[in-house]
Amino acid sequence: MIIGYICKYTPVKLLESMSIECVRIEPSYIDNGIAEAHMHPNVCTYVKGVLTEVFKGGYDGIILVNCCDSVRRLYDVLKNAEKGKMIYMLDLPRKSGDQSVAMYASEIKKLVQTFTDFYGKKFNAQDFIRYISTEQENAGQFNMPKGNDGIRLAIMGARCNSSLIDLLKKAGADEVLNYTCTGNLLNFKPLPDFSAGEQDIIEWYAGSLIRSIPCMRMADIDRRRDMLKDIMANVNGIVYHTIKFCEFYSYEYSYIKDNCRFPILKIETDFTQGSEGQLITRIGAFVESLKGSNNKVERPSHGTRKTIVAGIDSGSLSTDVVILDEDCNILSYSIVPTGASIVDSANKAFSQSLKRAGITPQDVSFIVSTGYGRINIPFANKQVTEITCHGKGAYFLNSNIRTIIDIGGQDSKVIRLDEDGNVVDFVMNDRCSAGTGRFLEVMAKALEIPLEKMGEEAEKATEDINITSICTVFAESEVISLIAQNKKRADIIKGLHNSVASKTIGLLDRLGRKGAYMMTGGVAKNRGVVEAIEQRIGDKVHIPAEPQMVGALGAAILALQEIKAKHVK
Amino acid sequence: MDLVDTYARWIKKNVDDPEMVRKLIILGLKAEHAYFSLFRDKQVPRSFNYLNKIGVEFILNPLIYRDQSAWVNLFAPTEILHAMDIYPLCIEAFSSFLVGFHCEDVYVDYAQRSGISDTLCSYHKGFIGAALTGLLPKPKFMITSSMLCDANISTFRYLSWYHHIPMYSIDVPLEYSQQSISYLEKQLREMVKMLEEATGKKMDEDKLKDVIKRENKIHAHMNRYIDALRYKCHPTTLTLEMYMLFINHTFMGTQPTLNFYEMLTNELDSFPHSRAKRVFWVHIVPFYPNALKRYFNYSHRYEILGLDLNFDYLEEMDYENPYRTLARKMLLNNNNGPYQRKVDSIMSIVDRLQPDGIIHFCQWGCKQSVGGMMLLKKALDERGIPFLALDGDGADRRNHHEGQINTRLEAFLEMLDK
Repeated sequence: MIIGYICKYTPVKLLESMSIECVRIEPSYIDNGIAEAHMHPNVCTYVKGVLTEVFKGGYDGIILVNCCDSVRRLYDVLKNAEKGKMIYMLDLPRKSGDQSVAMYASEIKKLVQTFTDFYGKKFNAQDFIRYISTEQENAGQFNMPKGNDGIRLAIMGARCNSSLIDLLKKAGADEVLNYTCTGNLLNFKPLPDFSAGEQDIIEWYAGSLIRSIPCMRMADIDRRRDMLKDIMANVNGIVYHTIKFCEFYSYEYSYIKDNCRFPILKIETDFTQGSEGQLITRIGAFVESLKGSNNKVERPSHGTRKTIVAGIDSGSLSTDVVILDEDCNILSYSIVPTGASIVDSANKAFSQSLKRAGITPQDVSFIVSTGYGRINIPFANKQVTEITCHGKGAYFLNSNIRTIIDIGGQDSKVIRLDEDGNVVDFVMNDRCSAGTGRFLEVMAKALEIPLEKMGEEAEKATEDINITSICTVFAESEVISLIAQNKKRADIIKGLHNSVASKTIGLLDRLGRKGAYMMTGGVAKNRGVVEAIEQRIGDKVHIPAEPQMVGALGAAILALQEIKAKHVK
Repeated sequence: MDLVDTYARWIKKNVDDPEMVRKLIILGLKAEHAYFSLFRDKQVPRSFNYLNKIGVEFILNPLIYRDQSAWVNLFAPTEILHAMDIYPLCIEAFSSFLVGFHCEDVYVDYAQRSGISDTLCSYHKGFIGAALTGLLPKPKFMITSSMLCDANISTFRYLSWYHHIPMYSIDVPLEYSQQSISYLEKQLREMVKMLEEATGKKMDEDKLKDVIKRENKIHAHMNRYIDALRYKCHPTTLTLEMYMLFINHTFMGTQPTLNFYEMLTNELDSFPHSRAKRVFWVHIVPFYPNALKRYFNYSHRYEILGLDLNFDYLEEMDYENPYRTLARKMLLNNNNGPYQRKVDSIMSIVDRLQPDGIIHFCQWGCKQSVGGMMLLKKALDERGIPFLALDGDGADRRNHHEGQINTRLEAFLEMLDK
């Protein structure tokens, strides 16, 4: 028989010693139809995934733990919907004192009794002791760094699955240590001897479970602070994972961010693989920032013919190419809309810029690609995330820049540079398009005005209108009702600019404010938004002549650095 | 409205000057208190005017007497604090007042910028923001119970670390048993010891017994009130329903709460017979949406009979064993344990009140309530009781969509009118 479980506090070893196969449920997709028909869109996405998985079938019974509000309701819903199946919930105390251990031992005994009644499975203390001693011998030490060079990351926070660990490795981490509840954080005390009775051994096991490194749901979590110290001593950076509609871990993230001077990147997933592209970019940039980099662009001093390089930024809305010579002169650039094919758009932009520079592809010694489509550019020699590239490009244009605000077509980022132009921190918006170029594009359509005219139109505004919805979809209906109320278009546009600005400031304030500022990405061309941001931060925001080109420029500079590094070797 | 907006602008302008904002808020609350002491809102019964006055008083006290205050969640056993003359500041209540002052957005944003998840309940986010900015004076102690909501322990622990203030988390098991009662009772005793150390005040058990005796009287009045509501009409407002929520929890067992219920039951006979369409409300009620105010405030046509949260424990309590009886009260709260217990309790109040329909409010971030909503709907469908779910946020206007609420509510009321 196969029993599905979700929580590390489940007495899995005890059940296994009773010949019950236990499988941890790691859903890979969410059937929103099922989830919303039985629960509500706003419950935790992991729980929605478990609901989907259980409905799909394959489990003879489900054991849940009273982990959180969403899981408690999952229990109620499953109990109601899967009447023929054993759906069980363990009431795990939040404290770890002796009384809590005794309470949990009683809970485990009740569970054992249920298995005996339901399936005729018997528990035998000696079988369990034998089983767990072998298990402990085979387990070895977990989460011990292997000691190799390279970037070692710890993943902390909400549960992570193996695909997230693979993703961290794909993004450039050499080693990943899992400190979430799916890693092995159990802490067994010495086993009682073979003569121990049922009560003693169950209490021993309950104590081991309840006194392992606690998750954030528990009340006594001081041991997480000790764990944090260990982590910081052993890794280069922490990737902090949260799950959509699970809030437990945002508190700890906030604590670490404010109290520990240690590289940390917060990521949020819905436990499916839908957002892999954006995640790789962010984690890749984080790994790059941990590696550090040399910013000084020095000329390779060889030969008579100048070296030529290219940077290509394959973004969601446009593909941009910059051609540089070894003296960092921009020979040409081009911007073409990204069509249905990333490769076609890249080819088009590349050949356009080659033509403008009067050179052939063979003249270009090195090409760095960046942006969402960077991995799919066949002629690029290297891929670097757009965060590092924006940092390079902006610092090259103005070495006083410490904060880059990049609002692109589908996402917005704030990037912090140090005095040498290294990326030291950054934040990125969530997966939705709130406050991005796409947001303004949708609104421009609703207001029947070309996107590029919005800045100009907003200057005519006379009334302050507050657009309260942040979500693109809701804001659009808000705009439509404002039109229905006969509000002036210019006033609505100004309201929209303010809304984008306040969303951006929210992002900026997660890093803290530090000038000088530069704004990049298509939205930087909108004077209205820029002014609204300037007003809020009380500082000037530098706008480069071609704000969309900064990513590609940074990529080209990195290409130059590559050439130089090769010559040094 | 304009006055409140001007006030909100002042507050928002001074977020970086928390002392100033606190003064502004205290001034505003005092003005409101004076207004309700001098003038009467003639559209609601006298007792509800008194409720309004004590509701403001309860929030003012911990702001003024900061060195005798404790922060609590809605389900903390505040009887203990009343017995020790400590003023509780309930986080859900304070966040509601921020909404009343139209300034919740700046505090919610402040919490989110500090890294707190945007999907967290806005009542918690608003309070966290107010605590982090220094708007709220530091209390002597913090108490939270794990009941109902995940955010409780996390929020209080976060603020306790931030302010270096002692706190106690009460872990409430799901099931009632002798073991769970003892587990809880022991925690309450341990908490009182910590409270005594932190505040320098001594617990007088006789005073605690008195609080519980008053609580028994209040429960009796509440039962009479529910029975009268079956036929009677008493126009009220959404705000007053929320005040009831706070006095029935955080200020349970206090003399003013007893006074209110005595006044209310004395007035019951004079209430007219109801000809309204009557709605029973599940979960909290946002008091600012125009659509809701238009249909329910002072209305003889559509009435809200009450919130399920207001009737979550109405049993006689054993005042001779105060700690044990408080432990029992927490374990047997209608909202603790499996969702079926909540469904059953709603069904039993439906039997007593015979409402025409049920509205379930899906509060942003409240997974314990929204996660089981479909089970409640199923149970009500089986009994042929109309059900409406409204999504929104009682503590952050920006998560409220007037048009959407309006359409859903009007369609539901049209359905009831048929």
